[in-house]
Amino acid sequence: MKHLTLAAATMAAGALPALAQDASAVIDTYADIAEAGYADSHAAAEALAQAVDALIASPSEGTLATARSAWLDSRVPYMQTEVFRFGNPIVDDWEGQVNSWPLDEGLIDYVDPSYGGPTDENEAAVVNVIAHPTFTLSGEEVDASEITPELLTGTLQQAAGVEANVATGYHAVEFLLWGQDLNGNGPGMGDRPWTDFAPGAECTGGNCERRADYLKAATDLLVQDLAWMAGQWGEGGAAREAVAADPAAGLTAMLTGMGSLSYGELAGERMRLGLMLNDPEEEHDCFSDNTHVSHFYDGVGIRNVYLGTYTRPDGSTVSGPSLADLVAAKDPALDAEMRAKLDASVAALGAMKAAAEGGLAYDMMLDRGNAEGERLIMAGVDGLVDQTRSIERVVAALAVGGVTIEGSDSLDAPEAVFE
Amino acid sequence: MRLVLALLACCAGPAVAQERAEVIRDVVGNHVLPRYAALDEAAQDLDAAAQADCEPESPALREAYGEAFDAWIAASHLRFGPSEVEDRAYALAFWPDPRGDTPGALRALILEEDPVVGTAEGFAEVSIAARGFYGMEFMLYDEEFAGLGAEGYRCDLIRAQARDIALIAGAMQEEWTGGYADLMLRPGGDRYRSEADVIQEFYDALGAGLEFTADSRLARPMGEFDDPKPARAEARRSGRSLRHVRISLASLHDLAERLMPEGVVHDHLGAAFDRAETLAARLDDPVFAGVSDPTGRFRVEALKGAVDRISAVGNEELGAALGVAAGFNASDGD
Repeated sequence: MKHLTLAAATMAAGALPALAQDASAVIDTYADIAEAGYADSHAAAEALAQAVDALIASPSEGTLATARSAWLDSRVPYMQTEVFRFGNPIVDDWEGQVNSWPLDEGLIDYVDPSYGGPTDENEAAVVNVIAHPTFTLSGEEVDASEITPELLTGTLQQAAGVEANVATGYHAVEFLLWGQDLNGNGPGMGDRPWTDFAPGAECTGGNCERRADYLKAATDLLVQDLAWMAGQWGEGGAAREAVAADPAAGLTAMLTGMGSLSYGELAGERMRLGLMLNDPEEEHDCFSDNTHVSHFYDGVGIRNVYLGTYTRPDGSTVSGPSLADLVAAKDPALDAEMRAKLDASVAALGAMKAAAEGGLAYDMMLDRGNAEGERLIMAGVDGLVDQTRSIERVVAALAVGGVTIEGSDSLDAPEAVFE
Repeated sequence: MRLVLALLACCAGPAVAQERAEVIRDVVGNHVLPRYAALDEAAQDLDAAAQADCEPESPALREAYGEAFDAWIAASHLRFGPSEVEDRAYALAFWPDPRGDTPGALRALILEEDPVVGTAEGFAEVSIAARGFYGMEFMLYDEEFAGLGAEGYRCDLIRAQARDIALIAGAMQEEWTGGYADLMLRPGGDRYRSEADVIQEFYDALGAGLEFTADSRLARPMGEFDDPKPARAEARRSGRSLRHVRISLASLHDLAERLMPEGVVHDHLGAAFDRAETLAARLDDPVFAGVSDPTGRFRVEALKGAVDRISAVGNEELGAALGVAAGFNASDGD
């Protein structure tokens, strides 16, 4: 994780009171948007949990479709909060249990033989907890006779120290609702039958009750985790306090989140890498073929932070003094440049989303030699990389006038700066 | 401390345009260009060796492979401009590989006898996991791949990998000498608006290189104390793990010296590099197999600590002295 520090030596001494004051208001808006985003994500997860309960109570084509649809809805507010991850240790430390990806799904449930077996990196890649009430992990016998939230978080999540062992969060739930996408780079998404949750003789895939227990446990954990994070950004919450305590550190968190998500994470890890590997599993929401939506709302979330405005699922908005205002006061041309770049990348991601909705799914775009898919994805990547350069210029511009900027570990270890 | 840093920023660093221009001339002319030229030459030799003899155990092929890989490691922190066009740097060096994409992609090609290896244009479209130095290492040094599928196909694949590496290295060399060096030497366009932007690029490259060595080359095989992961050591099949740490430290040290040729920050950085390079020279554990026992692990951990220390000096002192802010790089994220 990258740490930027806008170390405000002179700001603290009072040389720039106006900037410090403005910065506080900007940070309030930022925390308000975070609070609203996590609250909306929590509400959407509760709706998902209700749909999952209905699916388990009376499994059918219809209740499975409703649960899938609730999962898709839940991604819209959540992806707009991803920009809060980098730069806020409280979010980054927590995020792994909510949105870890990619995952070796064979840990959780049955998989196709083409998935392979344990790998050099992951001995637990095909444990299949749903089918095994007991199994061995890192040489120790695990009692999984009851599938509980505690089993998922305490034993399975990142089992054997391997990040791909993802037992909780959106993508674990996604896998249980959709199943593996076995269509490669061709059309089609995961096609788990509703009978995978059916009781008695109708059950397919085996262990339907344990599968339902797993889905229920993972969904309930998601609800709890999101409620907790919304609380961290409320009045007096630790995440809000952390950014409000020091305006320079708060601005740093905002810009770090924007830059790290734009460049290393979204443009690099999630988009360009998948394209270069031509691997249909290298898509963020690989079971549901919802990747285009996730990427798009990541981009929207980055822009939200700069413009200081967030549109909630009900159409209302949360807005206030923004980073854009601060930059415009210092350098109007740079503000215009930053806005244009953010709009351009959201437009490019929007074109990619529109193409996916038109039938060219994201995993088809990744196929070797699919020139149109490559063009659509690379336009998004280029926009994100381009806007990162402007974010760096914003960092530099806000530092003018005696505020020192440095890269350091000071967010994690503030004492190190004063050594 | 902060006030001291601010003072350094105003007076000790190459704040004046003229001094900055001199630093840029030195870094481009004596650090960047020689490295890309050396990579090009070694990569052409590798291609020639593979076309002459594709036998994985051929001493000439392995020697040429090792020299080209060395040349890449020495240049690999310079991830901007020509290396970022198309998939070049990614295709030369897809690693780390946490999901086993490289053996997976190679297996698929070999078992299907995918005819895509027949042309350079075709192979350039193949998954980056099957291309470059790390993919080639599996073909030359891994037991499974020594006997997988048809021998003739494996030979074609090795030749395609070597030709691909040579074409990428050649294209980068051509662009560096054919315009990109000038872009950095005479900033003012959209890519580099000023000398400060160019200095920022070098500063970011130094930071990213140090971070990669500490976090990927050293921390990954260390794993956790009670769960070490020696199988994650970089290029362990060809015994090159520690060698890469040493080559990259030497190359990054050279860059740091040129960015900050004198003064107190220069001295601090130099001492931090010397410490790490000394520990690496004494390590005597070519593939970090020692991470599995407490003593060996302690020595690798000490080396990682020394590399982290260089990063800390870079972050806390060099950025301010150069008058640049920390930027973002491709490894930000998780």
